[in-house]
Amino acid sequence: MSTQHTHSLEATVASLLIPLFLLSGIAVLSAFFFPTFVGEAVTGRAWLAIALIFFISGLGYLSLLPYADGDDDSESPVLLTIRRERLRTATTSFLAHHRPEGLILVVVVFLVYLLAQLIIPAPTTRAVSAAADTVLSVGGPVVAGIILLAVLYCLLLLLGPWGAVTLGGPEDEPAYTYPIYVTLIFTAGIAAGIVFWGPAEALFHYSAPPPAIGAAPESAGAIDGALTYSLFHWGISAWSAYAVLGVPIAYYVFVRDAPLRVSAILVPIFGAAAADTPWGRLVDTLAVFATIGGIATSIALVSEQFLAGISFQWGVTTGAIGPALFILALTLIYVLSCITGIHRGIRRIAVLTVVLFVAFGLLVVAVGPRPFLIERSAGAIGSYLAGFVPLSVYTGDGSGWVAAWTYWNWLWWFSWAPFAGVFIAAISRGRTIRTVVFTSVIATAGATMVWFLLLGGTSLHAQHTGRADILGAVNDAGGSEAIVGFQLLSSLPLGELFIFLFLGLIIVFMVTSAGVSTLVTSIIATRPGVAPSTVDIVFWGGFQGIVALSVLFVGGAETLQSIAVLTGGPFALLALVAMAAFLWTLWKSERGHTSIVRQAYDALPKIQLHHDFDNEER
Amino acid sequence: MVDSPDSPERAFEDVFYPADRVSFIDWREISGAKPAVAVVGIVTILSFVTGLSNLSQLTVPTDGPVAAILPAAEIFVRFGGVLFAFLLGIITVGLSRRKRLAWRAAVVTLPLLLLLPLVSLQPRDFPLMLAIIASYPLLLANRDSFDQRIELSPLQIAALFSFVGVGIYGTVGSYGLRDQFLELETWGDAVYYVIVTIATVGYGDITPLTPEAQLFSLSIILLGTGAFTVAVGTLIGPAIESRMAAAFGNMTASELTLLEDHVVVLGYGDVTESLLEEVAPDADVVVVTPDAATASDLKDEEVNVLTEDPTDESVLEDAQISDARGVVVSGPDDGRDALAIIAVRNVDPDVRIVAAANEAKHTKKLAGVGADAVINPRAIGGRLLGQSVLGDLKSITAADLVVESDAVVSNPDSPDTPPEANTQTDSDDRQ
Repeated sequence: MSTQHTHSLEATVASLLIPLFLLSGIAVLSAFFFPTFVGEAVTGRAWLAIALIFFISGLGYLSLLPYADGDDDSESPVLLTIRRERLRTATTSFLAHHRPEGLILVVVVFLVYLLAQLIIPAPTTRAVSAAADTVLSVGGPVVAGIILLAVLYCLLLLLGPWGAVTLGGPEDEPAYTYPIYVTLIFTAGIAAGIVFWGPAEALFHYSAPPPAIGAAPESAGAIDGALTYSLFHWGISAWSAYAVLGVPIAYYVFVRDAPLRVSAILVPIFGAAAADTPWGRLVDTLAVFATIGGIATSIALVSEQFLAGISFQWGVTTGAIGPALFILALTLIYVLSCITGIHRGIRRIAVLTVVLFVAFGLLVVAVGPRPFLIERSAGAIGSYLAGFVPLSVYTGDGSGWVAAWTYWNWLWWFSWAPFAGVFIAAISRGRTIRTVVFTSVIATAGATMVWFLLLGGTSLHAQHTGRADILGAVNDAGGSEAIVGFQLLSSLPLGELFIFLFLGLIIVFMVTSAGVSTLVTSIIATRPGVAPSTVDIVFWGGFQGIVALSVLFVGGAETLQSIAVLTGGPFALLALVAMAAFLWTLWKSERGHTSIVRQAYDALPKIQLHHDFDNEER
Repeated sequence: MVDSPDSPERAFEDVFYPADRVSFIDWREISGAKPAVAVVGIVTILSFVTGLSNLSQLTVPTDGPVAAILPAAEIFVRFGGVLFAFLLGIITVGLSRRKRLAWRAAVVTLPLLLLLPLVSLQPRDFPLMLAIIASYPLLLANRDSFDQRIELSPLQIAALFSFVGVGIYGTVGSYGLRDQFLELETWGDAVYYVIVTIATVGYGDITPLTPEAQLFSLSIILLGTGAFTVAVGTLIGPAIESRMAAAFGNMTASELTLLEDHVVVLGYGDVTESLLEEVAPDADVVVVTPDAATASDLKDEEVNVLTEDPTDESVLEDAQISDARGVVVSGPDDGRDALAIIAVRNVDPDVRIVAAANEAKHTKKLAGVGADAVINPRAIGGRLLGQSVLGDLKSITAADLVVESDAVVSNPDSPDTPPEANTQTDSDDRQ
């Protein structure tokens, strides 16, 4: 019954989305093909609405398509059991799913904070900023140390004997094929970084070189330093933050049968029931805070960027209604993608994201300044590798630059680490630790770094050769980083096509991350052993959107950054705990695996024998 | 309904492991013949829109790499898109009917169309370019799906040949006689003159000057218009006839040939309506019933119907029983049902047949004449009623209700058929 009802509900929604998608698609297509005619007929505000309807209906319909593989019953039965029940029953079961601190505490804390922002904005902002500044200046070097340690830890797991440990029983086969596994981890783990900072970060280091580089602003020497720092901020170090939480969680969940939540990292300390101890509950609650804080920051950033793009393309300012509409649309899409399940909505949008991402990268290669890109990228990779340790331990010249950029960046990544770590763990059943670390650190960081080299390099080239004065435009826009991408793309050949693609990328990258974070939040906010219901998912998805929207309205960009810092801070320390505890577990229970170095060494004599054999024959 | 997880701690596995295997892209979903036709359709639309967009420009840009080596690049860019779209429209219709000729035409046309974005190379050309690039491997991969020959009657062939023949005759002849025409100088003029003449437009800018040229022109008019009219009549007439037939409740022959993996329902009995509700969302259904009133009702509900006798083998062949996922025999008369089962077995010994027995004593007999599974709906209803009045609704498993013949037991690969799903739903309803 319930399945049938849900099917008909889905069919109804899907049949509503098709005409919407067609109509908005026709509008978008005609704007693309007949800019002169349509440009006169439709205003900029209408374009915002049309573009959002286009994305909502298209991505929503994609999510709702049935899953072809397997029978109907397997279509995420738990998520989709909407029964014809009374509202009260739904509310009761919703409340029964949650722990009081997981629900009430989180909601109350965010409400109190928002009320404080509304009633006494100045003192609240000051208090939050002061707290964040303290965390950055005092805790900053510690966080940088933890990140460096995390990189070394990942190297140990990757190359050492424990890489061979399988996450799961001997009968567990990976359910996700490798391509979708990489895709899901990559698209869940990064969003605003790619679209917001990709074109912008290197440019800012170029105009104000980091103290560690010491080149003159906007000089040729600043180019290499700028690219190197982009790689440093978005490379191996950043992605290691996810793996050091994800791998231990996966191990305790699939080998030790702990429930899937962040508190699984405490299993070696408190035993298998760690999730029910006060410390476990604290960790899980902090994880919900961090996830909502980190995602809200990203949503607010991409909303600013998307609207900057709309305003750039159609010259329209939307006022307060713009961000509200955008975040509403985004929330609708990611909640829908999350409700339909990881194999439908989230998977399909993730695939679309990667396809768009690769196509965009190839197009940039095709029309970008190739010789410049190759030369500068090679230089930047070289100095990244050579300067990795010095950059990691560099604490600044007292100007606060390192705190404002590097430490802040690390803490932002740590605020994402709980949900990204849980997600990496959740889909890694049956894989070895080596595969997980390679995928979630090396492969994803590789893709991110290529992107930063391509976009950062192209924007540096445009700025340095004077083909486009992006920095000038940023200054005109009041120092807003959001317009960098659009300024750059419009200076390229096929600029219009790039801008259309880029607007799409902004949406899909954010939707994949926010969808996954909604799913994970619904899991760690509910009681262990309860699969989240549709109501739970809708609530947490909606809550994330509301927090992002209200923080954007009452606080602005500075508050966002402070929130990411404050919610990410605890997880820098917890990562340290997780690393130590997991090392202890591995040391105690996982002896007798061979490292990859040992394997390579063992493989050597065989090659020699073969060689000798050839010689004898001759 | 779903296997409960082994322990409550594993509840999350329902969320993260909804299917045994999750892959990047389900290639089967996007690589079949249907997606191939759809992508060619998209190419057609994009070609038209891009062409229209080019037409609307005052100057057509030719920035692409091919522009230099292609003669008349600007004319090609200006008009190519729209003209190709018309050609591709016909090809798409042919492809959707799985015509071999349409496939060949598409394989030749698409690379030519790819020249268009390569000549102008504007941002607006990229959707078209990507669509063409996507369509080509799909077409090549599904080569074997497009295997329907275009069957022309002798009259149609004759009409086509005479039409082409008159065209060649007129072009070569008028070019040969160009001295005797006013303003006819090149091959292009000759083609123009012949088409204008055959289409009975006759602008009059090219005129025959000598009696010989006039006679020649008369011959083109007589032969050409004749061949033109006959060709149009013979080629388009049958299509209209088949539309007329479709309007009266039968599926057309071309619709029938496209069926595959569908469910054929023979006869319309008490249970057929619920059966259709259950099966229709998951599979194409074709109902074969001799009753014209039922057929027209079903037609109104947009169910595929053949108003024919289900015990007739040739009808069953028309319904593509060999490509069907399964056959349901659920007529009101067990005797005719038995005949229908025998007829199906004559056409295809392997297809799965499920029968609904109207009387319990006929269950074994229907299995005996070749049904793979027989269900007695009345027995199910009776047992549920009994259990319900005692307040003790037990689940009734599929095995309790279905008489499986030996053929099925020895053939575990046979796909699940709707009646079993039906019993499943019955047991769910008690919740």
